[in-house]
Amino acid sequence: RKIKRLRPVIPSRQTPCSVSENPLELARVKLHVSAVPEYLPCREYEYSDIYSFIEGKLFDESGGCMYISGVPGTGKTATVREVMRCLTQARDSGEVPLFQFIEINGLRLTDPHHFYSQLLQELTHEKATTSHAAELLEQRFTKPGLKRDHVVLLVDELDLLWTRKQDVMYHIFDWPTYPHSKFIVIAIANTMDLPEKIMLNRISSRLGLTRISFQPYTHKQLQEIVMSRVQGLNAFDPDAVQLVARKVAAISGDARRALDICRRATEITKLESKHKASPEKGSRHLVGMGQIEQALQEMFTSPKIAAMRSSSLQEKLFLKAVVAEYQRSGLEEATFSQIFKQHVAICRLEGIQPPTPSECAAICSYLGSCRLLLVEDGQKDILQCVRLNMSVDDVNYALQN
Amino acid sequence: MQLVQRVCDKLKLGEENKNDIILINLNGLILNDDRVALKDITRQLHLENVVGDRVFGSFAENLAFLLQALKCGSQECKSLIFIIEEFDLFCYHKNQTLIYNLFDIVQSSQTPVAVVGITCRLDVIELLEKRVRSRFSHRQINLFNQYNFDDYMNIVKNLLQLPEDFSDFLQRNQWNGHIEKLLEERGAKSVLRRQFETNKNIRNLKKLLVLSVSQISDKHPFLKTSNFIDAQALQTVDTKASMLKGLSLLEMVLVISMVHLTVLYEREPINFEMVYNEYKKFASRKSSLQCIEKTVVFKAFEHLQTLELVIPMTGSTLTTPKPFRLVRVLMDPIQVKEALQRYPNLPTELEQWASFMLSDIS
Repeated sequence: RKIKRLRPVIPSRQTPCSVSENPLELARVKLHVSAVPEYLPCREYEYSDIYSFIEGKLFDESGGCMYISGVPGTGKTATVREVMRCLTQARDSGEVPLFQFIEINGLRLTDPHHFYSQLLQELTHEKATTSHAAELLEQRFTKPGLKRDHVVLLVDELDLLWTRKQDVMYHIFDWPTYPHSKFIVIAIANTMDLPEKIMLNRISSRLGLTRISFQPYTHKQLQEIVMSRVQGLNAFDPDAVQLVARKVAAISGDARRALDICRRATEITKLESKHKASPEKGSRHLVGMGQIEQALQEMFTSPKIAAMRSSSLQEKLFLKAVVAEYQRSGLEEATFSQIFKQHVAICRLEGIQPPTPSECAAICSYLGSCRLLLVEDGQKDILQCVRLNMSVDDVNYALQN
Repeated sequence: MQLVQRVCDKLKLGEENKNDIILINLNGLILNDDRVALKDITRQLHLENVVGDRVFGSFAENLAFLLQALKCGSQECKSLIFIIEEFDLFCYHKNQTLIYNLFDIVQSSQTPVAVVGITCRLDVIELLEKRVRSRFSHRQINLFNQYNFDDYMNIVKNLLQLPEDFSDFLQRNQWNGHIEKLLEERGAKSVLRRQFETNKNIRNLKKLLVLSVSQISDKHPFLKTSNFIDAQALQTVDTKASMLKGLSLLEMVLVISMVHLTVLYEREPINFEMVYNEYKKFASRKSSLQCIEKTVVFKAFEHLQTLELVIPMTGSTLTTPKPFRLVRVLMDPIQVKEALQRYPNLPTELEQWASFMLSDIS
């Protein structure tokens, strides 16, 4: 009885967050991924596509589905939300028919079947068990009856609603096909061929061919996105932004990555300006190439080489022994006893007291725990297989001095 | 972890922050399931569905409730800091739901949240799913033991010397002076250097120092180099060699024949009959020892199995008679040789035979 009246609240803070007028600080706030701008640059085509699709369905008084795919960080969810924001404004001013917007994320559900109760709760604020909710929804969408408003449903992370019988997916795409359901579904997932890959034929045929795929951002687009966020702040060197855009576009084309790097670079700049104890106060600090380079280094370099360089002498020798054993046997895998033999040989060569097998096993398991090596469980003792978790060249490069 | 703890303590001490931060500690070893983790988060947040220390509602309700709570929040809410120890274990949860949601909240303009993950794995990002990885800000701090031997000695000195605010001034000076002198000595230095070369870890160093310091008594009030040497000897004992030292003569003979056989057949698995054959050869020809019955020898063989010096092959069926079951030997010729040298009252015949049997190796 008590649960029903609960309100989810996080206690509020006593002192509000400080807001600084420093351009760097402002840029940092603007660059946060959450600060979605008024309009999304570089997605105008997709925007109008989705907008016209939903608008058309609303005026037709019919239902339909649309499938949106693209790698993470290409603005899929943001674009759909933007469309819905504009449509909500239009609805409020009476330009389009009434509708209700519901958003469900596959990863926010503990179980695919929980989708039904979530949807029902969003629709009617009723609570029901999953099977009961499924029945109620079935009635609502399939039985012709009262005149109802449109329902626009955004399903994020669609692939997580997969079940063995695929009944959840089937229902999602089946309900819009009924003549009076007025149910519009927009499904978002990462892979382009998801309908063909995991869905049954009868589901993918219901999904239809209305599909949009979001391409990864090119470097020009990334640059435009970042520049549009920091417009008029005079905090960034345009060339620096271009460097970020090119680097990110070369790897993934993920807008989140570009924004994160820029944010990190502003922080580095801020730290530097603090350390310098600038003689002329109030001098402007631009984020330049150097800071961006540092931020890129921090985010993209693998820590493995640094880890190897800072490991102890015996650990280095053990890695060398693994490489030596690789070269001896020609295989990319060796047992611990073989490597131990090599290790002792190397120690003798270098004039170091060789470790006992127990010590060596400890070294091996340490390297295994930070995943420089891949090792089997310790139960197999000297017969456990050991292999490097990086290329031999990396080891040689790290240990050459 | 110590570093994070210290930062958090400092944050909490700061006047303006004291009341505006909620720390949430999670540990991957304890919270082995999203369900348990979620309950723990709700409990630590003191949300309204918590009564006493119990959290009500099902897993799905808990998740929905928590997410709604976090979604309703805005900049005016208290900041939440999630500190996740053993972060890599959270990556093995189903669908990585919890991490996804935490990262998603960080990436959207809801309650101000910071997520700090602590792990020992260098490749933890590769464990994350693509959509989770995209939401992760890719900011990593790597803590390596990047000090050389001089720094290491300073750390040792810091650990051993008494602090400035020690009550007995005279004793402090005496002790500290003694430590300084001790660390200059060659013996102590070489012990520490060996420790440094095998493992740079401070935790292992502390283990060594505790072992040495615990040898101080009223009679020997000061640390000596010999304490260090003893402690290191204790720490670096080879477990297998000391296990072999406690075996009976018969078992030792079996060990030698088994190691010989494995090397002879290039690490192929062996069974008891092969070992027994080898034993018979030794007992009848080479030695004056009495040839022991097969059943007794088999008992000795089984004893070696319980000590896990020999392990049964995986997949060997239970229908095979025991003496024919295949086993693998978990000993190296080097280890056996070493153990033989330390074996008390080793008969000369056995010694000669062993050196003959193990000589064609390496």
